[in-house]
Amino acid sequence: MNILVVNCGSSSLKYQLFDMPDERVLVKGNVEKIGAEDAIHGYKTDAHEGKDVKPILDHKEALRDVLAVLTSAELGILTSPADIDAIGHRVVHGGEQFALSTVINEEVTRAIRDTYDLAPLHNPANMQGIEAMEAVLPGVPQVAVFDTAFHQTMPKEHYLYPLPYVLYQRYKIRRYGFHGTSHRYVSSRVPHVVGKDLSRLKIISCHIGNGASLAAIENGRSVDTSMGMTPLEGVMMGTRSGDVDPSVLEFVIRKEGLSEEQLANMLNKHSGLYGVSGVTGDMRQIEEERSKGNARAALAFSMYEYRIRKYIGAYIAAMNGCDVLLFTAGVGENSATLRREICENLSYLGVLLDHEANEKGRGERIISKPDSTVTLCVIPTNEELMIARDTHGLVTGLQNRQNLPPMQ
Amino acid sequence: MGLGMAETIAGKGLDVILLDQTEEDLERAKDALELALQKRLAKWGITEAEKKGILSRITMTTEWEHLRDCDLVVESVWEVLEDKAEVLQAIEAVVSPETVIGSNTATLSITEMAAYCEHSDRIIGMHFHYPVVTREVVEVVRGLKTTDRTVAHAEQFIRSLEKTPVRVFESPGYITARLMMPVMNEAVNLLSEGVASKEDIDTAMKAGYGFTLGPLELADRFGLDTLVHMLDVLFRETADPRYRPSAHLRKLVRAGRLGIKTREGFYQYDELGDKLEGGVDL
Repeated sequence: MNILVVNCGSSSLKYQLFDMPDERVLVKGNVEKIGAEDAIHGYKTDAHEGKDVKPILDHKEALRDVLAVLTSAELGILTSPADIDAIGHRVVHGGEQFALSTVINEEVTRAIRDTYDLAPLHNPANMQGIEAMEAVLPGVPQVAVFDTAFHQTMPKEHYLYPLPYVLYQRYKIRRYGFHGTSHRYVSSRVPHVVGKDLSRLKIISCHIGNGASLAAIENGRSVDTSMGMTPLEGVMMGTRSGDVDPSVLEFVIRKEGLSEEQLANMLNKHSGLYGVSGVTGDMRQIEEERSKGNARAALAFSMYEYRIRKYIGAYIAAMNGCDVLLFTAGVGENSATLRREICENLSYLGVLLDHEANEKGRGERIISKPDSTVTLCVIPTNEELMIARDTHGLVTGLQNRQNLPPMQ
Repeated sequence: MGLGMAETIAGKGLDVILLDQTEEDLERAKDALELALQKRLAKWGITEAEKKGILSRITMTTEWEHLRDCDLVVESVWEVLEDKAEVLQAIEAVVSPETVIGSNTATLSITEMAAYCEHSDRIIGMHFHYPVVTREVVEVVRGLKTTDRTVAHAEQFIRSLEKTPVRVFESPGYITARLMMPVMNEAVNLLSEGVASKEDIDTAMKAGYGFTLGPLELADRFGLDTLVHMLDVLFRETADPRYRPSAHLRKLVRAGRLGIKTREGFYQYDELGDKLEGGVDL
């Protein structure tokens, strides 16, 4: 079964075509600058790599272009667009309605529209992708996989803010959490890596990329996560502040005469590693600058590490223990230094890092010593595969139901 | 004003042609744009990458020919009807008959301007407010012959800039100028009559009525010469004495104290246009 996984931004479209259930990636691609005369469509298979620059005015046109590439004789992947059996979409915000991935129908699209308020930058773009797909490949089942869904298992006392309750009732102001597809994927890999049943494990998952969030996962279910109603809450990130005293914002608005937009930009794009170091929001460069003796870069690194470690401590308390501490995403998978500094400062817990495995190992692996009280792992994330799996599961379920004999 | 519009439009990801009369004008525009973006960057309004993006989307030129492929053209020349009409005709000479042409005017008659044009149905008033980047309202002014299609097109464009269009039928000063010009003018009268200090006049309106800028600060930003000119236009058009420019205002303009652009109006300003404490009283 061929499943196309699509991640639509406001002017971009990332995709991967999977052969399921073999989980083989047939092609990966990316359309950038949709709406421009010089949009870029890059794609890659095992044998080919291509790049076109041409006018692509909207998401529909972008998808037609994707289909043209998939069915081109040169790549020889598909003979016709009809060979695509289902489409899986990444949708950022599922609000409270979606705790699971779901087959898209009219009711689902209405519910996704209802969450525009909560994710004004992302959900409308995701929706454009869904509508464009419906127009280009009508009748092909589409599935929505939500970033927030995995965290819908959080209990109410964890997801509510200590604000007037009426704000939750009126506007659904609460913590939702993000990176759910990633946290779910990596935690689903834990049993394979550590050889224990997921239902007995307390896991702390650190998804540390450009954006970063931690999740406390008990018996395979998310019980807490560091991002909140928006992806701004929680640990310090590349350019996002993470947690700050809300009164600071009021103070800064007054002192600097900022507008709402300027304030939001300051917190999202001018803070974090970038804001503190004054150089970059990229962890690789921060480490480089730090090793050259740049004091502000060193400060930014220490703050970043400290804030992650504090959350780890909080989640150990939240779950009353921790069996597995795992690292994933760009920084989590690649920065051995960050992992080392975090783990070395957790010695009170009985955490023993295997430096060899931490620094020299590659890919999915354990990086703690056998007698460490907590098993440390690196597990590369794969959100697209998770979306493909969900889509495959839902669509085959759908087909099986249709094939059942009628009820007597 | 034209520069602020270009900055705003390019900030929303659209390509902009900025046309001016001479290379020197464009050089000045380039410097001013660089400065404006640098200020926004310093206040976290944009990132370095966004600044580069905005600069890359604005093409500065003195060639009318460059307007040929534009979907929309907005003129923003000096508030004199004949000058604006001449510019509209020059725009019409290069663009296609469907291209919507906006006039960024605060006081003049769209119907009269459109009368100079061949396709008067696509001429529309689009009154942006200073500073364009942060002011959210745009007055959309219908002339007698402006079609629904033109209005819809203009409003859609304004919404795509995340600004709010308000519809106005043609009338001198529309909404905002008709209300604000007399307020600024009367504030100058208050000052010249010695009723209150400039700071207290501004504070009263900021603290009392939620103005983000007091009327005298606003006048400085506007340009006192522009203010006198617009009041004159309204006065001539309506013959209503409430629009007669304050004598004190005229005196300041004659003395070359035009507001922020000369670094001195009611207040004094540094080279970035930020207010200096103190300033010269009367």
